[in-house]
Amino acid sequence: MMSTGTSISKNRQAVSLQGVDPETCMIVFRTHWAQVLKILEKHDPLKNTQAKYGAIPPDEASTVQNYVEHMLFLMIEEQAKDASMGPILEFVVSENIMEKLFLWSLRREFTDETKIEQLKMYEMLVTQSHQPLLHHKPILKPLMMLLSSCSGTATPAVEAELVVLLNQLCSIIAKDPSILELFFHTSEDQGAANFLIFSLLIPFIHREGRVGQQARDALLFIMSLSAENNVVANHIAENTYFCPVLATGLSGLYSSLPTKLEEKGDEWHCLLKDDWLLSPALVQFMNSLEFCNAVIQVAHPLIRNQLVNYIYNGFLVPVMAPALHKVTVEEVMTTTAYLDLFLRSVSEPALLKIFLRFILLHRHENVHILDTLTSRINTPFQLCVVSLALFRTLIGLHCEDVMLQLVLRYLIPCNHMMLSQRLAVKERDCYSVSAAKLLALTPVCCSTGITLTLESQEKAYILWTKAAQTKDSCRGTSESTCIVECGRAVDISYLQYLWEAQEAILQCLKDCKVWSAFYDGENPDPDTFIQTLAEENSKDVEHPMFHLQQRTPSMCSSSQITPFSEKMQLELEWDDSYDTGISAGSDVSSPHPYDDQGSTEMQLPAEPPKHIQEMKKNAIMLIKGSYIEESDFQDDVMVYRLCAQKDAQDDDNSEKKTLNVARKHRVESQTVNNGPLANSQLEMDLDEHSKRNSSLTQGITKEQTNQKMIAVDPQPDLELKPAPQDADRNLNIRLLSTDGEDFIAQYDKIIKELDPNSASLEEQKLGTPGPVSPAEEEEDFENFSADTPSAESMSSPFGPKEDFFPKHAARSQSAPFTGPFISVVLSKLENMLENSLHVNLLLIGIITQLASYPQPLLRSFLLNTNMVFQPSVRSLYQVLASVKNKIEHFASIEKDFPGLLLQAQQYLLFRVDTSDAAEELLTKGNIQPDSSAGKGRSLSEASPAILQPFLGHKGKKSLALPSLPVHVRNAVLAAALFPEFLKELAALAQEHSILCYKILGDFEDYY
Amino acid sequence: MNPFWSMSTSSVRKRPEAEEKTLTGELRTSPPRASAKKQLPSIPKNAVPITKPASPAPSSQSTNGTHASYGPFYLEYSLLAEFTLVVKQKLPGVYVQPSYRSALSKFKSNVTNLKKQKQKILPLKQTFSFAVWFGVIFIRHGLYQDGVFKFTVYIPDNYPDGDCPRLVFDLPVFHPLVDPMSGELDVKRAFAKWRRNHNHIWQVLMYARRVFYKIDTTSPLNPEAAVLYEKDIQLFKSKVVDSVKLCSSHLFDQPKVEDPYAIVFSPWNPAIHDEAREKMLTQKKKPEDQHCKSMHVSGLSWVKPGSVQPFSKEEKTMPT
Repeated sequence: MMSTGTSISKNRQAVSLQGVDPETCMIVFRTHWAQVLKILEKHDPLKNTQAKYGAIPPDEASTVQNYVEHMLFLMIEEQAKDASMGPILEFVVSENIMEKLFLWSLRREFTDETKIEQLKMYEMLVTQSHQPLLHHKPILKPLMMLLSSCSGTATPAVEAELVVLLNQLCSIIAKDPSILELFFHTSEDQGAANFLIFSLLIPFIHREGRVGQQARDALLFIMSLSAENNVVANHIAENTYFCPVLATGLSGLYSSLPTKLEEKGDEWHCLLKDDWLLSPALVQFMNSLEFCNAVIQVAHPLIRNQLVNYIYNGFLVPVMAPALHKVTVEEVMTTTAYLDLFLRSVSEPALLKIFLRFILLHRHENVHILDTLTSRINTPFQLCVVSLALFRTLIGLHCEDVMLQLVLRYLIPCNHMMLSQRLAVKERDCYSVSAAKLLALTPVCCSTGITLTLESQEKAYILWTKAAQTKDSCRGTSESTCIVECGRAVDISYLQYLWEAQEAILQCLKDCKVWSAFYDGENPDPDTFIQTLAEENSKDVEHPMFHLQQRTPSMCSSSQITPFSEKMQLELEWDDSYDTGISAGSDVSSPHPYDDQGSTEMQLPAEPPKHIQEMKKNAIMLIKGSYIEESDFQDDVMVYRLCAQKDAQDDDNSEKKTLNVARKHRVESQTVNNGPLANSQLEMDLDEHSKRNSSLTQGITKEQTNQKMIAVDPQPDLELKPAPQDADRNLNIRLLSTDGEDFIAQYDKIIKELDPNSASLEEQKLGTPGPVSPAEEEEDFENFSADTPSAESMSSPFGPKEDFFPKHAARSQSAPFTGPFISVVLSKLENMLENSLHVNLLLIGIITQLASYPQPLLRSFLLNTNMVFQPSVRSLYQVLASVKNKIEHFASIEKDFPGLLLQAQQYLLFRVDTSDAAEELLTKGNIQPDSSAGKGRSLSEASPAILQPFLGHKGKKSLALPSLPVHVRNAVLAAALFPEFLKELAALAQEHSILCYKILGDFEDYY
Repeated sequence: MNPFWSMSTSSVRKRPEAEEKTLTGELRTSPPRASAKKQLPSIPKNAVPITKPASPAPSSQSTNGTHASYGPFYLEYSLLAEFTLVVKQKLPGVYVQPSYRSALSKFKSNVTNLKKQKQKILPLKQTFSFAVWFGVIFIRHGLYQDGVFKFTVYIPDNYPDGDCPRLVFDLPVFHPLVDPMSGELDVKRAFAKWRRNHNHIWQVLMYARRVFYKIDTTSPLNPEAAVLYEKDIQLFKSKVVDSVKLCSSHLFDQPKVEDPYAIVFSPWNPAIHDEAREKMLTQKKKPEDQHCKSMHVSGLSWVKPGSVQPFSKEEKTMPT
């Protein structure tokens, strides 16, 4: 039996049984078996009392082995007639040969080698036999015994072989689901866990390399089987720890990801496939994430829901949330890039949904993740670029929930426009008036350059066409010759923009068909909006589903500590269950003292069945290794603090200040984190919260900070009245309700007082991106920007709110507000001349994406230049006008502006030229086929995706406006980009004017 | 009375849907006409001449970087917007089709790769002063019943700030308001001054349709028709019938204006038309498929209708 598998395959090549009489085969088989049986019985303790365990002479063992080899060979080669068994198989079944052989091998030393041989033997039997074997219990049963004997500790070699066999079995089951029943029943007989095959595969889910891949493939077979088989689905969901292992395993894998990415150059803004393939840890994580995605895609809804919930509660909330609030900028940036990568990689709506829910609704330390991310756009660090890239991904999803939370909810009440303008929301711009106004913003100084002279114009044209040819190859060279004949200067690029605008809008229109409302100023109704919101909030309190979202007041109070207490609980659970053993049966009865606590905070939306909690426990045990890592990861605050302090010493003061802030609130969280102390903290929080609740009417939670601002808006007269107390009280409420931010703000303030240098540093920092004669700039700045973030708001790079939100909150009581995201993007855009090229490209990309949305509220806000807004609202048009003035001012003081502009334009065209390959790459790196990434692009829109550092680097640097001071370089590039951006917007406005009627329902006819 | 005919245009590139849709309307309305003559056939809802609004022809050009150079773009889009309005109006029995050489594309004949087009030299007047739309109107009851009149709309280049568009019938229809020589309809009397934002081209088309149902004889362009209508309605009727017959007999003539998008009628040819007709009759099932497809990856929303909360849509309750 020692080398059964290999020798059989050797024999098979030598001998062919073609044409051999089946009866002869049968006779040979029987005689072989008689010989084997003689030896077997000689050593069987039941039949032969003299038989001693382990004392089998080697010659007898090898005799048995030789016979068995031949027998198996005969069995495999036997051809079945009709549906009946062949005589050999019948004999094997009736004599229970396989089981006897298995017992024999057990009686000998059951070493790893023996296991491997047995596994190989069965693999060969099931894959090569001409007749189905697994239907027969006498064959199935020893197989299951073998499998379960391999389930314990095993060496890698055995594991590899085991997984191969399991994979084969799964693929057979997938082809013939009737076998499934048998597997279930057989396992029942064994008294072991049901569906052994499945349980055996679970430990390999997150394994790297071939073994892991085979195990995942095998599991996917079962998953797709579960979609049609309720028994399997129920079993997996209720009796296995598949989902918890899968979800919490993500946490474990995440903890081993690098917390800092190597320096990629300042153009770097998102992780592409090329990047993450270089990091084995990331590859492993992405494999598991991809597997989750696949499972959710094919599995039964029961499993899908369970998995999704575990990912939310076991990965996103306890791991991603704290990771997004780490101490150093690098770490936070890395996490943001990871999140962006995950969002781009996930394609299943159900999985995407929880990621989005996490971003939109989850609150970490009382602040929405979304708000934190938004506030980071305004940081001067690379973090801003990465955050912008994340938002580009989010907006590109065309998801109603994202757009509602990010932008639309602020526009629905229509407070941002004059009352008389509400009717104009749906108006369309028949005569391209808006487009004309937008194009008229092109600075005079920018109409020079490439488009002016005939030569360079032709050159420009050729470059443009090249970029365009991939999309529309029917354009030939005849065109360009014609243009020269005509002697006209050409703005071919505008046609390209129109074309792309149409593509973008149509895609968006198509995606938005599933949206729940038109957002046209009537639906949802601006006047009842606040009421609806309030009603829904009060309703949510009872709605069990929202426990998950932590939306209700009770959840809010705990949200700050949830991740930690949850983890705490997990650890306690782990301790408790340590001695209950791993078998599923014994677990069910084991007491679980933490059930109550657990169910309120972390469990499934519906009251989770006990066994689920038990399973979770199991899961934690199972992935003990990784989970310990994970807790290290969270408890590492001390280490991070030390690192941070060290960094702070090394770095300049401004950096230090940042770290201080962060450290402060780290300290806060740490208190919560430290076991028993957490309780008192928790009580404090609860107290504070209940106070707050009483002060707020209608149970509007503090989570509705932003909504509340709106809620206050409709009664401006109320505030205009000389009732300072009233206003004060409002303000108090506001401060209370945003205490999270407030508290950070206070720290900031204190630190500022302690550090007299910080103020000046701030200004300096603000200037660094491009101090274009700050004094002169200042004027423009003040003229146009009511809400341009002042220097302070830059001061704390990722201490989210300290100025930003309170400021807006205060403002919102008297003035309409278009939402933090719009404000921050527009204010960033206003600084276009100081921004680096890639920041501008991302901003332009985001704004054009926003402007592609067909919703009249958004369209009218961004593109209708005739709209009259409230004085306090800054429109895109105003911001663009301000940029125009800045550019013209810059042109007037810069000596060689036309020359520089030409250089900049050539540089940009060169980048577009090199971009085609890059675009391809980005699409490939994207699991999602039609995400924002892969569409037609042109200079400004295309570039962000395209201008990846990895490809572009060669030769690009040489062209890149050499030897210019950074601020001049940025400004010139911005000046070159600006007219293109205007064209893009104008093209969108024009296309909207002819496409918007499609919203009304004639849409299908287009496709 | 009429041969079983169909119409098609000789469109070469782009907007094939336009032609099909145009065809739809007629094919579906013409057969019942024979049986129920007195009734105005209702416009089949799904047979509206929805047209892909002439997409910005990817290949054409504009003038240089100064702002005036975008003028053609503005005009083109104004006309496209007008066209979408026409489409939306669903005027019974009226079909129009913008010419291939409209505002932007009037340069196109030089610019694009349609070599054949290059060889045909078009009268400057038609290509460079006006945007041109081709149309056909079907009269389904009244004195002009069974009339099929092809016409051309000329839209001034400074639209919408210029004069009102002109509408000229290919053959001068015998009608008090139609010039017996040029075939031009008296549009001016309805739109003395063309006001942007208030007047739209669909109104011109609606007016053109109405004149055949409600005959006005004041200050006629065709005094003979006016007098006959007042004094000798029988003779008027017989003249109208002659005119309708004349138009029908010229139905299959080549269009007067050389343009790939000009409306062309051709006799019914099962090889060409049956398939298209079948497609139109089964067309309405498509939206559902579309829906299923859109449920796939693109298009995400978990907002409950009527709600303003993200993720407010309730999950389907799962079998336990």
